[in-house]
Amino acid sequence: RRQGPRRLPRAASPAAPVLRPGRPRRGPAAPRQHQRGRPLSASGPARRQRGGRRRGPGRSSAGAPAGEMGLEPLFQASSYFRRRKFRECADVCSQLLERPPGEQVAGAGPYFTFYFILIQAAWNLKTRALTEMVYVDEIDMDQEGIAEMILDENAIAQVARPGTSLKLPGTSQGGGPSPAVRPVTQSGRPITGFVRPSTQSGRPSTMEQAIRTPRTALTARPITSASGGCVRLGTASMLTNPDGPFINLSRLNLTKYAQKPKLAKALFEYIFHHENDVKNALDLAALATEHAQFKDWWWKVQIGKCYYRLGLYREAEKQFKSALKQQDMVDTILYLAKVYVRLDQPVTALNLFKQGLDRFPGEVTLICGIARIYEEMNNISSAAEYYKDVLKQDNTHVEAIACIGSNHFYSDQPEIALRFYRRLLQMGVYNCQLFNNLGLCCFYAQQYDMTLSSFERALFLAENEEETADVWYNLGHVAVGIGDLNLAYQCFKLTLVNNNDYAEAYNNLAVLEMRKGHTEQARALLQTASSLAPHMYEPHFNIAILSEKVGDLQRSYTAAQKSEEAFPGHVDTQQLLKQLKEHFAML
Amino acid sequence: MSLFKARDWWSTILGEKEEFDQGCLCVADVDNSGSGQDKVIVGSYKGYLRIFNPHPVKLGDEVQPEDLLLEVQLREPILQVEVGKFVSGTEGLHLAVLHCRKLCVYAVSGTQGNVEHGNQYQIKLMYEHNLQRTACNMTYGPFGGVKGRDLICIQSMDGMLMLFEQESYAFGRFLPGFLLPGPLAYSSRTDSFITVSSCQQVESYKYHVLAFATDADERQDTEQQKLSSGKRLAVDWVLNIGEQALDICVVSFNQGVSSVFVLGERNFFCLKDNGQIRFMKKLDYSPSCFIPYCSVQEGTINTLIANHSKMLNVYQDVTLKWATQLPFIPVSVKVANFQDLKGVIVTLSDDGHLQCSYLGTDPSLFQAPKVDSREINYEEMNAEMKELQKIIREATKTQDVLPESEKQRDVTVTAEVSPDLDEESQAIDSEVKAGAVPSVTVKITIQSRVAAQKPSLAVCVQAPLAVTCDQFVFGDLEPDSSETVVLSVFLKENCSPSELEGTCMVSYNIPTEMNLCSFILGIPRVAQCNFSLPLKLICFPAQPSKAANHKLTIDTNKPPISFVTIFPDFVDPSEGDQANVLGFEFLTGSKTTLLASKTSQRYRVQSDQLEDLWLVTKELIHRLGVHFKKQNCKDFACTFSGSIPLQEYFELIDRHFELRLNAEKFQELLSERAVQFRAIERRLLTRFKDKTPAPLQHLDTLLEGTFREVIALADAAEENQANMFQAFAKLKSATHLVILLISLWQKLSTDQVAILEATFLPLAEDTQELGWEETVDAAVSYLLRTCLSKSSKEQALTLSSQLSMPKDTSRLKKNITLFCDRLAKGGRLSLSTDSATQQAAVMPGGCATIPESDLEERTIIPGSTAMFSSNGHITKQKSKP
Repeated sequence: RRQGPRRLPRAASPAAPVLRPGRPRRGPAAPRQHQRGRPLSASGPARRQRGGRRRGPGRSSAGAPAGEMGLEPLFQASSYFRRRKFRECADVCSQLLERPPGEQVAGAGPYFTFYFILIQAAWNLKTRALTEMVYVDEIDMDQEGIAEMILDENAIAQVARPGTSLKLPGTSQGGGPSPAVRPVTQSGRPITGFVRPSTQSGRPSTMEQAIRTPRTALTARPITSASGGCVRLGTASMLTNPDGPFINLSRLNLTKYAQKPKLAKALFEYIFHHENDVKNALDLAALATEHAQFKDWWWKVQIGKCYYRLGLYREAEKQFKSALKQQDMVDTILYLAKVYVRLDQPVTALNLFKQGLDRFPGEVTLICGIARIYEEMNNISSAAEYYKDVLKQDNTHVEAIACIGSNHFYSDQPEIALRFYRRLLQMGVYNCQLFNNLGLCCFYAQQYDMTLSSFERALFLAENEEETADVWYNLGHVAVGIGDLNLAYQCFKLTLVNNNDYAEAYNNLAVLEMRKGHTEQARALLQTASSLAPHMYEPHFNIAILSEKVGDLQRSYTAAQKSEEAFPGHVDTQQLLKQLKEHFAML
Repeated sequence: MSLFKARDWWSTILGEKEEFDQGCLCVADVDNSGSGQDKVIVGSYKGYLRIFNPHPVKLGDEVQPEDLLLEVQLREPILQVEVGKFVSGTEGLHLAVLHCRKLCVYAVSGTQGNVEHGNQYQIKLMYEHNLQRTACNMTYGPFGGVKGRDLICIQSMDGMLMLFEQESYAFGRFLPGFLLPGPLAYSSRTDSFITVSSCQQVESYKYHVLAFATDADERQDTEQQKLSSGKRLAVDWVLNIGEQALDICVVSFNQGVSSVFVLGERNFFCLKDNGQIRFMKKLDYSPSCFIPYCSVQEGTINTLIANHSKMLNVYQDVTLKWATQLPFIPVSVKVANFQDLKGVIVTLSDDGHLQCSYLGTDPSLFQAPKVDSREINYEEMNAEMKELQKIIREATKTQDVLPESEKQRDVTVTAEVSPDLDEESQAIDSEVKAGAVPSVTVKITIQSRVAAQKPSLAVCVQAPLAVTCDQFVFGDLEPDSSETVVLSVFLKENCSPSELEGTCMVSYNIPTEMNLCSFILGIPRVAQCNFSLPLKLICFPAQPSKAANHKLTIDTNKPPISFVTIFPDFVDPSEGDQANVLGFEFLTGSKTTLLASKTSQRYRVQSDQLEDLWLVTKELIHRLGVHFKKQNCKDFACTFSGSIPLQEYFELIDRHFELRLNAEKFQELLSERAVQFRAIERRLLTRFKDKTPAPLQHLDTLLEGTFREVIALADAAEENQANMFQAFAKLKSATHLVILLISLWQKLSTDQVAILEATFLPLAEDTQELGWEETVDAAVSYLLRTCLSKSSKEQALTLSSQLSMPKDTSRLKKNITLFCDRLAKGGRLSLSTDSATQQAAVMPGGCATIPESDLEERTIIPGSTAMFSSNGHITKQKSKP
């Protein structure tokens, strides 16, 4: 095995300080352009709007050409809709709806009846256009709030069996890399290659613990309530029209609309996505499914979505299952799997996905779903297998490429990881994270000429201080690797300037201070690191070594125990503990 | 995201500001040349009809004029163009053009010229139909299985299918449940029309069912009202796909199997003849148009799907085979054969970009912009690097705390306390029960010698006191300018302060020479000053009282001074020169009396409460010192001989500690109740979620009760906190007094007084996790073990590494008593010795004690680069979950 440049040399003593391995940015949070609502940033649910791209510039053309050449306004509107020019479409529809009835009737008797159809059609089209503007695929919406976690009454067992729960990150069976190689998140899962909402959240065991975790964009503290994120999505309704909302929900006679299936479906989507009023949406869906004599699977799926939002997972499961019985649909399978994940039944979800694959062989979203679940269950090797399957079906899948890349990086194959990241670059992903990862891979693959220029570009592209901090941190690693400790020291300092919650940088600074012999400084830094990130074993271990060196065996023992708690398999910690125990026995 | 871009074979831009959509593009050998050479026919919403015959001379060439075979402007917008066998009696291809209210069929013919650009093309109207209703789209095919000719079916905007048998109108039928027109296609294998209705269903209608249904037009006159229902039309099959569709295509590439392809807004479906799903694919982008074009492998069908992120994907069933970048978002895509080139992809955008392209491995033209690189002058860089490293080294030498260089006092802040109280009190919201709360004016001046950016002033006084305004933000200061603010200080809370001092602090940025980036504001700096407030602010003269619980006697080496001279602001001059007794009454109500001995050189301070003695004693000593200094009397000294009032002091400590214990108790109770509250909430939630409503069994009462308890507990805890604050203020006053007395008693130097103060008055806030008792205990025992130790044996005592709240105060009291004893026996307070002892302690055994716990438990507070060297570690330590 190649002598990896990640750790400080261990020759000195069995208990040499351990550097935290380089931390590639999770994932090229690479916007796969126009990918439907797959959230890429760490900052919450995808607010990528499918529509609205053309809002600004195209607006001037609304209405005018329609009149000139005598194009039917409704036809014009539906053409705009097809071309996803929703703003223009809504404008034309509004004009149609505001037009006084007399103009339409104008002498021609037979057309009077069609006036109502026309109005309904325009209304329907506008509803759909407004919905599409703010549409986010519900499948990708996933945020669990503290309230939901604490008041979760779906748990079956307090202590789940290994491999059957997402709540116990420690139960790895797939031979994933150890935390010594692959850093873990606060909730104890290995860092993934691609940022999704669920990769951020951890499941705290108690309310107190949940509240205590600091909430920044990068930590695992859950949001207070799941509705929080959705509330902001729903504010679209307040923006659209200065004259008030397009549809006044409180005045709506839902029963009447539920009996008109052609209007009801558009109306439901409007209420659900645009107004974000789950309760009314559920009422409408319940009435409509009754009117359809429970034969329309679509309504069942919608009821399930509403139940899911309301936290009634068992009821949602029932609806989705019933919908699946009527009609196999990819979306329904994804929704049902989402319910199972939320109910903490990953194995059921996996089975469901596999059944789905029998029905829809080669469906990328299903394979990807399997891979994500395996990844969350810490079964990295299976996850990688499935990500490879994804690539067989769709070789432009950014998430799969990024995840395989980071997996290779952490399994000591930086050259192969480099190829994956390079592929992303060729595909047009151009951001800080990617260049950061490229630089790191280049360094570990010993292609030193590219390393610094990659990092330079990453710094150039960094959008916020957290990203800059990450790049400096990794530069610090490179500096440690080439032995320029002064540069390393300054890099870590710069990391802290940009993000002073960076526990890894504190730890590494402490190691450098230790080398210089500044024990006090090192201890202070290590204590900061361990209080910032209790889930990391390195600061605890380093404190243990430091204390052991100066002879404070008691403190060394306590710290070593903490280190063992964070990373039970760490051999050096075990040796240190053994040594200390022998020492105590002698005394 | 694609690796490659589509290779441009031929492209052009049509017209100006014209609009195009799905139906506007058609590819066929429309002029019946027989060469198998396809022409591109484009109609626009502006009414232009164009026919192209692309044959580039070389790749990506400009459009040759002769490529455009024909351009006519028709009077109405062109919704759709199709080519088929539309004219009876001939199997030649004709062009059908759909306008809003008209359907025209043209013959396109060309006459050869001598040279290529001499060719002439023209269109001839074969027949036209005026339509009763506004058209939306059309489809054509051999309806009813006719051979050798194509019939046309037009869908109107209000849902009528109008069928034309070439030159004659056949019949019209309304679609049931119609709202908005969807895409329409004809399947020749099943002889049926397939559309997607507003109910998000794929619906198939047999041609013969349409033909035999009641004619809509016949009933038009009689049953107008029911027209929209059209319920007689029976549907062949229905498939609910749950979304609207963009387009439908029916293809059959190999014999026997035909498939219906439906491009939805979010999914892509392939259906069998009978309406069952053969396969579907969830699309993770918004598609714009598609075309199934051939079957490369037996049993699979290849499809082109274009999307709104300018990508063209090639799928074999559901597997992505190729992805390529297009220069625009296409609204329509076709596959055509030109010259010798088969399978050219023809795409049209909505603003008139027409492109013929083919797939190739041209890399997509994404080039990362260059990071601007300068010519590197290595010598200069080296010099700069050295310079910078020197600065860094200088900075790191001082242990990360930036040095406050006295020379560069660019900004000075001075505070001037007015000698008299305000005539009209400025006190706001004071909780003091006394009638009038006095206030005193403080004038703060900031003087700047350099330009200071964004200066802001913060004024801070210790808690029972308050200021009228504590934050000031100024505009940027010019060099040699000044700013002045005026504020008032008053007693806010109903207890006596332990200090009559305040601080004001100015923070500002000084601009740097190298303002490289606009967001770097400069170098942040601070300047500060202290001010002391008059005693009159919190007390007023009162009748002296003879009896008191606590008495202190201060000895001096000079004859007593009349209070008229040293307390002119408290003594009424009318009382005469020889006033030797003076009474003070604090705003909070307690009294202190000051007596001067007429014979001996003594002063006595007495009060009912120990803590009230402090401010008066301090003021006395301070004023005596000032008085004698004025008289140039250098050897003046005060002494204290009596025993230190430790017992009374301990009572105050106990009082404070008791309140802390209470606070802890309240916290425990609160968390208990909160857990109970959540448990009830959870049960209630299960009840409410239950399908069959069950009685609440008084859970709601329980919930409300618990809620009340929580609120009551929180109120009690708050009250306790307020009490604790007062107790701590008293404790601080008493501590100050004790320090003063010790220093007078042992005649300590200022250095030693500073150590005493650091020991007894930690800078850290008094909090539940880290309180005064354990901090002082640690500090005192440290002193006892080091400079005040009697033997080296004591030095080996170890302390627990974590400071935690003690069970009781006996250990602290014992230590303080011992501390006073040792001082009395001649112990010297100094910190220089302890480094020596520490060295000695570490050297001999490998297992020696760690020198000191409280001094080394330094934690860097995130958010500041400075390190806290105060004794006492930060609470963060304990909040570890």
